[in-house]
Amino acid sequence: MKKRLGIISFFVILFITFIVIWNYSYKKGLEEAYIPIKEQSLDFGIPSEKGVFTRAEFALDYLNMPVDEAHQRSLETYYDNRAYPGAPPSIPHELLKGERGIGGKACLQCHQNGGFVDKFDAYAPVTPHPEMINCRQCHVAQNTQTLFAISNATKIQAPKAGVNNALPGSPPMMPHGIQMRENCLSCHAGPAAPKEIRVTHPERVNCRQCHVPDIREFADVEIFRRTNNHQNE
Amino acid sequence: MYTSTLTDRREFIKKMAILSAMTAAATMFPGIIFAEEQESNIPEGANLDWKKGPCRFCGVGCGILVGTENGKAVAVKGDPNSSVNKGLLCVKGYHQIMCIQAKDRLTHALVKKNGAYVKTPLNEALDIVANKMKETIQEHGKDAVAMYTSGQSTIPEGYVASKFMKGAIGTNNLDCNARLCMASAVAGFLTSFGADEPMGCYEDIDHADYFITWGNNMAEMHPVLFSRMLEQKNRRGAKIIDFATRTTRSSTASNRSILFEPQTDLAVANAICYEIVHNGWMNKSFVEKHCNFSKGLTNMGYGLEDNYSFNDKPSTIDFEAYKKFLEEYTPEKVAKYSKVSVKDIKYLAAIYGDPNKKVVSYWCMGMNQHTRGTWMNNLVYNIHLLTGKISQPGNGPFSLTGQPSACGTAREVGTFTHKLPKGVVTNEKHRRLAAKIWKVPYERIPPKPTYHATEMFRAVDRGDIKFIWTQVTNPLVSLPKTGRYRPGMEKDSCFVVVSDVFPTPTSDVADVILPASWHIEKSGLYGNSERRTQHWDKMVEGPGETTPDAWMTIEVAKRMGFGDLFPYSEENHVEEIYNEYRQFHEGPKHGMAPLEVLKKESGAIWPYVDGKSTQWRFNAKYDPACTNGEDFHFYGKPDGKAVIWERPYEPAPEVPDAAYPFWLNTGRVIEHWHTGSMTRRIPVLHKAMPGAYVEFHPEDAEALGIRNGENIKVSSRRGSCVLPASINERGLPTKGQVFVPFFDENMLINDVTLDAFCPISKEPDYKKCAVKVEKA
Amino acid sequence: MPIKSYLAHPITGMKNDLIVSLTQYEQCEVIPAENNEVVILITDTQDDTEEHILKEKIEAIPSLKLLAMVSGFNTTKN
Repeated sequence: MKKRLGIISFFVILFITFIVIWNYSYKKGLEEAYIPIKEQSLDFGIPSEKGVFTRAEFALDYLNMPVDEAHQRSLETYYDNRAYPGAPPSIPHELLKGERGIGGKACLQCHQNGGFVDKFDAYAPVTPHPEMINCRQCHVAQNTQTLFAISNATKIQAPKAGVNNALPGSPPMMPHGIQMRENCLSCHAGPAAPKEIRVTHPERVNCRQCHVPDIREFADVEIFRRTNNHQNE
Repeated sequence: MYTSTLTDRREFIKKMAILSAMTAAATMFPGIIFAEEQESNIPEGANLDWKKGPCRFCGVGCGILVGTENGKAVAVKGDPNSSVNKGLLCVKGYHQIMCIQAKDRLTHALVKKNGAYVKTPLNEALDIVANKMKETIQEHGKDAVAMYTSGQSTIPEGYVASKFMKGAIGTNNLDCNARLCMASAVAGFLTSFGADEPMGCYEDIDHADYFITWGNNMAEMHPVLFSRMLEQKNRRGAKIIDFATRTTRSSTASNRSILFEPQTDLAVANAICYEIVHNGWMNKSFVEKHCNFSKGLTNMGYGLEDNYSFNDKPSTIDFEAYKKFLEEYTPEKVAKYSKVSVKDIKYLAAIYGDPNKKVVSYWCMGMNQHTRGTWMNNLVYNIHLLTGKISQPGNGPFSLTGQPSACGTAREVGTFTHKLPKGVVTNEKHRRLAAKIWKVPYERIPPKPTYHATEMFRAVDRGDIKFIWTQVTNPLVSLPKTGRYRPGMEKDSCFVVVSDVFPTPTSDVADVILPASWHIEKSGLYGNSERRTQHWDKMVEGPGETTPDAWMTIEVAKRMGFGDLFPYSEENHVEEIYNEYRQFHEGPKHGMAPLEVLKKESGAIWPYVDGKSTQWRFNAKYDPACTNGEDFHFYGKPDGKAVIWERPYEPAPEVPDAAYPFWLNTGRVIEHWHTGSMTRRIPVLHKAMPGAYVEFHPEDAEALGIRNGENIKVSSRRGSCVLPASINERGLPTKGQVFVPFFDENMLINDVTLDAFCPISKEPDYKKCAVKVEKA
Repeated sequence: MPIKSYLAHPITGMKNDLIVSLTQYEQCEVIPAENNEVVILITDTQDDTEEHILKEKIEAIPSLKLLAMVSGFNTTKN
């Protein structure tokens, strides 16, 4: 009798254990299937510091480089292959490494550090974000000049050079956003920089010492107002 | 045809006309281009009237040229003749004049009547101030009135304030906001060398091989000097090592960034000394000839209680005792609690220890706003003294300042409670000299110091001070634990007079508001971090009844019957006061340049001897005051020797715990200067940095489920403040730390900070207290 | 002493003629657009009468299609 009771309770315990474990693992399985939704960040306008000094080591080279007037770019054509100011430029030339070329094996060979390219009789512009190597995620080729259907998209006006000073002679503010373009020297120095925005003093690498973003194009900042209603206790 | 030079005002208007036409054209023809417009659209202002002066903001003391046209300031550029900045400024400097025209500028005196401010003629307002001060003295005694001035006061302003309080009234109730930023540096210099202010100068940057910055984000706070360092880095391969508790723009630009746990800088500095001594890197002959060893009291407390007082009792020790003391600070032991690796400590020590490398150490608020700030200053001097790397071009410790005349006014004129223009009130000889020059009875100057800044506002809160006059400063944003001092100043027991240019939270509690002239609306002199005195002449007229602070002090003194002590003329008082003040510093140790020289040149470094600036003090090659016949002479101390101090590591007064798990660090951003009362009224700067925020380490933010921009309540045992979160944007604090800039009067982080201070210097620590954070 | 700025639109194809004609007057300053048929014109004259006379002369230029004023300033003598 005792022996039988023992065997029965042994199987009962085994059965309970089975149910507990099965339930536990089933629940675990459900949890994994649930992906928590992260709320989006609110942008309140402090630009990232990432890459501020990235090309600073070339500052003196930029300074000593003679200006190649015959091959310099100007803002006149700069926005031609951009859908709007700040849009990723499309690729205005054939893909030298073919359709499957990517990053370091293709585009970055010229666009990481720039330099003169005989084939296009031009200097390669330097990318401000060489760490992003899937270039053609954003930059597409222009393989045809015709359109599928006429578009009504209007081109909004690009920021102008030379009109961003607050005072006569004071350092101009940045008239554009700098997300993914935190590294100023890549576009504002070197032979591929459009002549209107080529910096006269590339050796002063701490750009944001004097030039601060004028972020009005993203969020209109009102002038400073005293509120005195701080919520401190 | 169109040229890019501006010939006169008409040219300027013409350019404006061109601009408006271009804008009009651009709306009609999007993408329209006019060639060669890079620099030419806005005129360079070549024919404006350019006047020289020092910049209004930080302690670097850049030379500026202000372009005026028809009595208005319209442009600023760097002074190419100034050896400080060589023509370069920072974004604050370039736009500084834009605050003058702020709409809410204080243009007339305001007197509070039945709870409302009434516009009052300045003469009447000054009568009220003088009468109130006289009454208070009659009823409650001299020590019931106080004046709180500033490291932004000009030299003449500080001088008349000191003469008025100490010489005319006869109270030492005069302190200034430099107590909140430079007092530890002063105490450090006095204890180590017996003479205040750095021995080197900015030219060190051109010679050094290594720059080691101690808790100092120079790229944002001293950007012009940092740019000079970057230039040397690029051109000569000089190296910058950033030693800090937060990753900043400076860290990014440095060759190496080393992070440490708050407060453990004391231990790391000692560990560097340990390495230097134990690896035989000590410069024995220098130490034997020029240094003594001392120790002081320990476990000093933190000054958290009212009426706290402390006096250090130094005693001389020998080298063996010092060596034994260092045994506690082996890199291995220190690495455990400082979170700096043994390798990094040895790396730093090896840089200082290498006799062939020239090293400059830079620091500012990280080391000064520290409950052991004096010790920390001593410890860095120890490193430089042990290795003999001091007072030579490219070698030396360099304490930077945050205010334009923290050195020139607060420290040299001495607007601290214990100071006189030369020496201290406790010294009879110094009191006698002051009495002689001021032409007052020697007995009138009291020999005992009274309140330092924090204690002064505690006394206001307690009701001990019945009248306080603040000039050029905004204590209700800048004091620690403003949650106590704001209600304190609001009390009826104290009559508050505030002189300022703009309304601030401090002027909000004033009984009388006096309209002050801004920087270029008056003449004056500032003294910067490298002992450079700079003069400027008035450049534009101020609006309304705005008046220079010095002149308002003099007017009140006259109304109180001290007219014979202030025989200056309104037009020329700056010159007359400076000439009187110069008498205090005559001699080769601190001689000041004559005004004619300062008017002509872009500043001169004191000691100014025989028509020459002294760039490296204590070094016989450069400093004519060295008289001991050796290479170096630390003449601030009676025996001519500098002191190497035994200063241990002691923990911070409040450390993170279960209830308040984060360190709170506060500081500045490049766009704003101090409490923002000026820079926030400059549209360029406000647009770039519209409000304060609280920085998190991304892992802390993730653990708390905090996203960027979300409102966060930061609270301590004293108060709380709600700010948007900033994750990995401007700065990146170490894990377990949050950082908040203090410029925003609409988000007062100083309600949260702790009013603990260094017992020796009485400078509060704004960099460390314990807080909790939660979603608001 | 009036200073005025205009957008001057030339008759199509005659931009260069317009620029040449305008630059003959010493009170005129001309900034041609690079990529559009428009010219910025600034006039800088001693007084209102002179300004009137100049404007009549300009309007008589044959290559000019339209003259549109953008802004006007008047400064005192100092």
